[in-house]
Amino acid sequence: MERERESELVRLCIEAACQSGESVQKWRRQRRSLERLPAHLADSLLRHLIRRRLIFPSLLEVFKHNAEAIELRGENSVDAEWMAYLGAFRYLRSLNVADCRRVTSSALWALTGMTCLKELDLSRCVKVTDAGMKHLLSISTLEKLWLSETGLTADGIALLSSLQNLSVLDLGGLPVTDLVLRSLQVLTKLEYLDLWGSQVSNRGAAVLKMFPRLSFLNLAWTGVTKLPNISSLECLNLSNCTIDSILEGNENKAPLAKISLAGTTFINEREAFLYIETSLLSFLDVSNSSLSRFCFLTQMKALEHLDLSSSMIGDDSVEMVACVGANLRNLNLSNTRFSSAGVGILAGHLPNLEILSLSGTQIDDYAISYMSMMPSLKFIDISNTDIKGFIQQVGAETDLVLSLTALQNLNHLESLNLEQTQVSDATLFPLSTFKELIHLSLRNASLTDVSLHQLSSLSKLTNLSIRDAVLTNSGLGSFKPPRSLKLLDLHGGWLLTEDAILQFCKMHPRIEVWHELSVICPSDQIRSNGPSPSRTSLRASLVKQKQDPMPMSHSFLGGVLLFSMRYSFKCIHLTFFVCFSKTDQRLKYSREELLELQYSSLSLARPDDSSTQDAMGLR
Amino acid sequence: MKKEDTVKLISAEGFEFVISKEAAMVSQTIRNMLTSPGGFAETEHGEVTFPEISTTILEKICQYFYWSLQYSRGKETDFHIEPELTLELMMAANYLHT
Repeated sequence: MERERESELVRLCIEAACQSGESVQKWRRQRRSLERLPAHLADSLLRHLIRRRLIFPSLLEVFKHNAEAIELRGENSVDAEWMAYLGAFRYLRSLNVADCRRVTSSALWALTGMTCLKELDLSRCVKVTDAGMKHLLSISTLEKLWLSETGLTADGIALLSSLQNLSVLDLGGLPVTDLVLRSLQVLTKLEYLDLWGSQVSNRGAAVLKMFPRLSFLNLAWTGVTKLPNISSLECLNLSNCTIDSILEGNENKAPLAKISLAGTTFINEREAFLYIETSLLSFLDVSNSSLSRFCFLTQMKALEHLDLSSSMIGDDSVEMVACVGANLRNLNLSNTRFSSAGVGILAGHLPNLEILSLSGTQIDDYAISYMSMMPSLKFIDISNTDIKGFIQQVGAETDLVLSLTALQNLNHLESLNLEQTQVSDATLFPLSTFKELIHLSLRNASLTDVSLHQLSSLSKLTNLSIRDAVLTNSGLGSFKPPRSLKLLDLHGGWLLTEDAILQFCKMHPRIEVWHELSVICPSDQIRSNGPSPSRTSLRASLVKQKQDPMPMSHSFLGGVLLFSMRYSFKCIHLTFFVCFSKTDQRLKYSREELLELQYSSLSLARPDDSSTQDAMGLR
Repeated sequence: MKKEDTVKLISAEGFEFVISKEAAMVSQTIRNMLTSPGGFAETEHGEVTFPEISTTILEKICQYFYWSLQYSRGKETDFHIEPELTLELMMAANYLHT
């Protein structure tokens, strides 16, 4: 938001100032100018310096008269020396050093007595312990404090009761006991309390009633089974708990807007939603939960976001979802028993649906024609399904109707995920007319250069993932990428050589290319989001690859799906072997030919990088 | 160019830059001064004094106005900024909303 307010020339100045270490040297001695810099310009300049990795402790010092908000999240170099400089910032209002592993308790000593600091994020600074809390107690202005997954014990947490101005307190993953929670009762200004993974039980949960302003509560992964009525509550997370009753009580029902019950087991399913005021509920996540009956949905007319993925819902309960109807914008039905028939029933009831995920369901190509009746759709995920891309008409003639053609009606379609489906070069043909498409994900061993070339006409496409495809060097060489393309993911393109990829990157310097053999970033481009170029190394990207076999499909809906609750659990997938689908093109080659191909590409890989071979499944 | 179509921008040291009104309007601040109905002396005389902006910076600002006009008409060139000017220019740009 801050950046949008910057005028064009200001932006150009900041870029010029952060061009290189030498340019920094040209202005860093202009003390008087630096002192006059308005806070928002100082913050902005500092933010760019951090992103460009041009900042070091003594340079930090020049901003001490004006910086108000500093974000250093994940910067490994931040240590006691940095904190010593930061402690001298007179007007610092917000400091984020989350994931800075070298920040210790003693480093926090420098912050003692800061007079303006209101927000401090120390999440996952594992070396911050109870001793560090003693330093923070002198900062009475603190209003927001994030301490999840630090080295605190119950004793250290109990000290926080003297920070009377706290309205946001994140104690996720810390050993908060019922006793400690009781000692925090004096924090009557608390609005946001995160206690995921703590040792709080039903006895502690009873204390929560005493916080008069509590509107956000996260009790995921705790032993709480009965949560009493908290009349100010708006957001509640009880994911992965075993629940007997929620908000039981008769007076003043909580004005709940968001509730997450992902992976929750219900002891008493019939009464699960009995005490919940459903008229305001806009967000409901019951993915992976034990629910088997979904009648409660008929009461929830205000829902905008509904996640039923990996639940027991199927075509038999589809009427309940249809009842929710008009306000629904985001619907996740992935990994359920839904089939095309179910989608057919939903079709006319979801006029405002923007995001639909049916990944891993039993749908076939008929579902696509039903989707074309949901006029507001922007994001569609139909990966891991039996979608073939055509419908065989029953009749005298054996005409094939290309099912994706139906999606041409969707004028807002920005994002389409067709990974792990049965589509082929011929059936993808209609895609070339989807002019609004920004993200496209394909992953299929039967796709060739033909598909790649068809996509040249998508003038708004920025992210294209075409994985495990049989792309050739010459095919890539002759590919004319859309002008807007920023990212091309070619993972699993096993016929491509490093030379061909480098050649492509040289011709199209604006495009970032991902492949096992090389990760190439646009040379000196300042990226507004994501890590700085220098941080993206080959190995780092491979590690990421291993943790998450389908980064595209996750980030696909990510930005939109993310909801204001801070999900503290990271799902780390350890299954990372590249799976080739049934129509593996390698079957066309003899074993000898394959070995030859294998060595010709491996000889180009870095000899010491055995992980490259692992990731390709060629060990 | 007629006098009505130009504006005079005066730096802290008293140097005068006469530029076209259209270029000066790239700055939201100057646009407001020149178009606000009545009251402002700037509107009548077509003169704006900037006691906070030095001659070097004001010259650069004027160059930027013309560059910005050309850029908006499709001429895609880079606008070079010397690193030593960045801080002062940034503050001036911030004040002028340009």
